[in-house]
Amino acid sequence: MELIFFRIALVAYLVSTVGYIASLFAGRVRVAKASMWVLALAFALHTVHIVMQWIGTASIPSASIYGSLSFIAWAVAGSYLAFQTKTKTQILGAFVSPAVVVMMIAASAGLMDEPPIPAALSGPLVSFHIVLLLIGGAFFALACLAGIMYLVQDNLIRGKRVRGLSRLLPSLQDLDRINHLCTIWGFPLLTFGIIAGSIWARTVWGNNWQWDPKQVFTAVSWALYAAVVHQRIAIGWKGRKAALLSIIAFAGLLFAFIGVNAFFVTMHRF
Amino acid sequence: MSIALLGINHRSAPLSIRERLSISCGEEEKPFEELKKIPQIGEALYLSTCNRVEVLVNMNDAEAGVKGLKAFITAHGNLSPGEMEKCLYVYRDEEAVRHLFRVTSSLDSMVMGEPQILGQVKDAYRLCVKQKASGVILNKLLHHAFRVAKRVRTETAIASNAVSVSFAAVALAKKIFGALNGKRVLIVGAGEMAELAARHLMDGGVERMIFTNRTYENAVRLANDFHGIPVEFELLDEQLGDVDIVISSTGSPDCIISEDMIAGALRRRKNRLLFLIDVAVPRDIDPAAGEIDNVYLYNVDDLQGIVDQNTQGRLEEAHKAQVIIDAEVEKFAGWYATLDVVPTIVDLKGKAEEIVKGEMEKSHSWMKNMGEEERGNIEVLVNSVVNKILHDPVVGLKKESRNGGADPYVAAIKKLFRLK
Repeated sequence: MELIFFRIALVAYLVSTVGYIASLFAGRVRVAKASMWVLALAFALHTVHIVMQWIGTASIPSASIYGSLSFIAWAVAGSYLAFQTKTKTQILGAFVSPAVVVMMIAASAGLMDEPPIPAALSGPLVSFHIVLLLIGGAFFALACLAGIMYLVQDNLIRGKRVRGLSRLLPSLQDLDRINHLCTIWGFPLLTFGIIAGSIWARTVWGNNWQWDPKQVFTAVSWALYAAVVHQRIAIGWKGRKAALLSIIAFAGLLFAFIGVNAFFVTMHRF
Repeated sequence: MSIALLGINHRSAPLSIRERLSISCGEEEKPFEELKKIPQIGEALYLSTCNRVEVLVNMNDAEAGVKGLKAFITAHGNLSPGEMEKCLYVYRDEEAVRHLFRVTSSLDSMVMGEPQILGQVKDAYRLCVKQKASGVILNKLLHHAFRVAKRVRTETAIASNAVSVSFAAVALAKKIFGALNGKRVLIVGAGEMAELAARHLMDGGVERMIFTNRTYENAVRLANDFHGIPVEFELLDEQLGDVDIVISSTGSPDCIISEDMIAGALRRRKNRLLFLIDVAVPRDIDPAAGEIDNVYLYNVDDLQGIVDQNTQGRLEEAHKAQVIIDAEVEKFAGWYATLDVVPTIVDLKGKAEEIVKGEMEKSHSWMKNMGEEERGNIEVLVNSVVNKILHDPVVGLKKESRNGGADPYVAAIKKLFRLK
């Protein structure tokens, strides 16, 4: 039953994506604003779907890759909607919403048969651990996206090629601000997510740290993000260097979340 | 009745002559008082900006009206008749409308696509209305012009690229900083391009403008013009740390701003973005400064390169705009032409109404025995017949007036229907 919400949400995400891309080429802000409302609607429906699943199974749907993708898509859409009220640019929507749609489509492939979650993995602590990390990851994804756009725009302006793509991209200062805000919001989430995981690990395995590869790489990413936050706040890094570091840090995070499973044996089911 | 537009602009007359025409009119109300004195002129609009002085009128007698206007301009512009003949342009009827639409849509501006002219025309119109110098024709014409300007701005990209160098500099600043509010600008030296860029930046909403010059008095003068702050030249290095945008335009043969100065400024600014515009030839700012992270350095050639990139695009957009304008001129001309026949149509319909009224009263004696509903039906029937009969002649009149040949028909209808 809850699948119907998922499906309508997916359609709404798609409509929003079309709207954002159309606004990009037509140069009309109103279309982008309308797309944002459609995105918000899609997010609301998606939230209903996730809540219903949570009520049904008492945990976050992340036992399988499909459920996780759906949840990540939800987190990315939510964090984008949350912070885009702070900055004036609508253009990020044109890059975020297609990503969300892609993830939703991938998720819909296997959403109907969610494997049951073993007892050890259910419970509020695990949910916190996963939710915090995924939402934090969504913010960092946005920060990385802003960082990439910053580097592109910086390159175009320095190369004196300001027709075309440069006109579509937001200003450097706006991009830097997005990067800054997303990093600042993502970092505490990442921190608490790791802490929740380690507290839970204690309840299951008796100690806070298992030197599991996923834990290690996540810790490395955490350190990189800590460096970004420190450099930004204490030393006043802005612009290019901050953008670069947040891209590298996100690459690390991606590896920790997904890549590790391909190269190492890990206790983490996901 | 006909419309005429006379004037001079930056293309037809140099600044010295344009200044004389606008200065002599002095306070705002005076031009209108003088214009009203010319007997043939029914309505008048007076537009004066730094790049043009124009008068748009609606007048009864075309030839005498234009003569009167020329006399007005010669008298008040301190122009010799010779100068006036060389610089003044006269547009009539459709061409006047076309010129007005072009001006309001910024196609006739020095920087095509600039946004100020629309506001300036609106202000001139507001004043015209306040002075009660406008009537049916000018009201319709000006409102139509504003609509055309809006169409051109939204349907073409003419407003989106910068043609002039200083405009390009400001557009770049917006690409770097987003909004310009709260930003501070330092202007080193003086010169037309620097001052133009400063003006555009001021219009863009920067918070503070600081002026410095080897000759302190020049800095003071500019600061007064732009409501800014003058600063001694020795304090240049210090100022660099406090500003976001630097425009440099001195006559110095060497670089006056070195890479080290910029690096130091950046540290003091905690790496906030810094935009340097070097319009001096030879260059004022060490090119190496542009390589520093978070510093963006543009010199005259770079800016000109952007302008050249944009000019081609702007020409295409100007062509699109002209197409829009031509279509709108036709629409206005259509409306204007029907003005001839409107009084006749009103008279014709009025006469028909009187006839209907008269006959209804005459039939009152036998109609009063009928029910109210039946009386109502008869009235509707009679009016419907009259309207249907008149429909074809009225529509035909309007059609003929749009084709420009309504006069014989108007005369015929007036004669045959014995209208006054």
